[in-house]
Amino acid sequence: MITDVLRALISSFVGTLGFALLLHTPRRAILPASLIGMFAYLLYWVLLQLGVSDPLSVFAGALVGSMLGQGCARKMHMIATIFILLSIVPAVPGLGLYRFMELLGSDRVTLGAEAGVSAMMSIAMIALGIGMGSFLFRLLFSRRGRATRAG
Amino acid sequence: MTQETLTTAQLAPQSCVMEALQLAGRIIMENGGETYRVEETVTRMGRAFGLDKVESFAVPSGVFVSYRRPDGGTETAVTRVHKGATNLKWVDEVNAISRRVEARELSPEEALRQLRTIEQEREPHEQVLLPIAAAISGAGFAMMFGGGAAEMITAAVASALSQLLTMFLARRRLQALVGTLLGSLITALVPGVVARFLPLMLDVTVGGALMPLLPGLAMTNAVQDTMRGDVLSGLCHGISALLTAGLIACGTLLASGLTQLGGAL
Repeated sequence: MITDVLRALISSFVGTLGFALLLHTPRRAILPASLIGMFAYLLYWVLLQLGVSDPLSVFAGALVGSMLGQGCARKMHMIATIFILLSIVPAVPGLGLYRFMELLGSDRVTLGAEAGVSAMMSIAMIALGIGMGSFLFRLLFSRRGRATRAG
Repeated sequence: MTQETLTTAQLAPQSCVMEALQLAGRIIMENGGETYRVEETVTRMGRAFGLDKVESFAVPSGVFVSYRRPDGGTETAVTRVHKGATNLKWVDEVNAISRRVEARELSPEEALRQLRTIEQEREPHEQVLLPIAAAISGAGFAMMFGGGAAEMITAAVASALSQLLTMFLARRRLQALVGTLLGSLITALVPGVVARFLPLMLDVTVGGALMPLLPGLAMTNAVQDTMRGDVLSGLCHGISALLTAGLIACGTLLASGLTQLGGAL
């Protein structure tokens, strides 16, 4: 179990770090963005282990990643795009998309369609999680959001 | 009207103001910024320059800017956008310039000068870093998908070679889609060849190595743009993502065919 947790932590951090460098992320944002990606993936992974469905786990990971990203961006006076984009990188269903393409290409259409639909659901959930995370962050932590809640 | 009551836009040459707005929008769009960010940045900068009725409309292939001139006429310009590699540092720098313009710390001429400097930035060591970054990314994702040392090393090598090929093709100004096709071919071919000689989890290795190429992020942007109401932008991103996914599929199938052919020979 501990090995699995360590694998999830290290692999998500390293994967996100590589992506941050590929996207020419500003230097001072690389470490915080990679850590946010790691935490978001860890949440996704833990929820999966607890038996939560893949779409919901991805949504939760993206939501938390988006909120952490917004907070970090505000603290560091940088654009939120950097942190939000990198927070969802480990959750993007790369293996699922590859399997979808490979199965379709080798004429296993039904299995391929299943893999494809699952991958597309994950992508939609990621987008939804990011949108909801941004909305919640503004509602909870921005001055206008607080005024709305008070009024 | 005294000198003090004239806005910065009225004092600056109009071409300078428009060029600054266009350049800011183009840099953001070309380097991975969201559509709404382009429009917001251009509109805010324009208002900070004292312009009246500033409007901006952005799609992935172009940015439209218009404002009302001091003489009452309308100034409109369109900038063609040619998508390059994502560069978040440049997007952040344009954002920082925009903030300084809003804080009235920069004139249109000064903002334009700084925007021009952004595109001239070239750090040589960053070009060396890209294949290394691709290797790190490939190894990390191969590990995430359940691979061991062999899968991680193979994915790292495949990702690095694919990145080098993409950079080589970009220098020759070949279309990015050609780079995607050939890049995915290399990415799938290297693990395929290695699997002939070593026990290797092929799908995990190729899946990890392909992550830097996959348009998962583009698809996410497509959905997000559509949810925000930028339907045209969402459609453009979506079609581009589907095309990229199709080319990657072709590349990996071609690689699979070549390795099978090689095995038969």
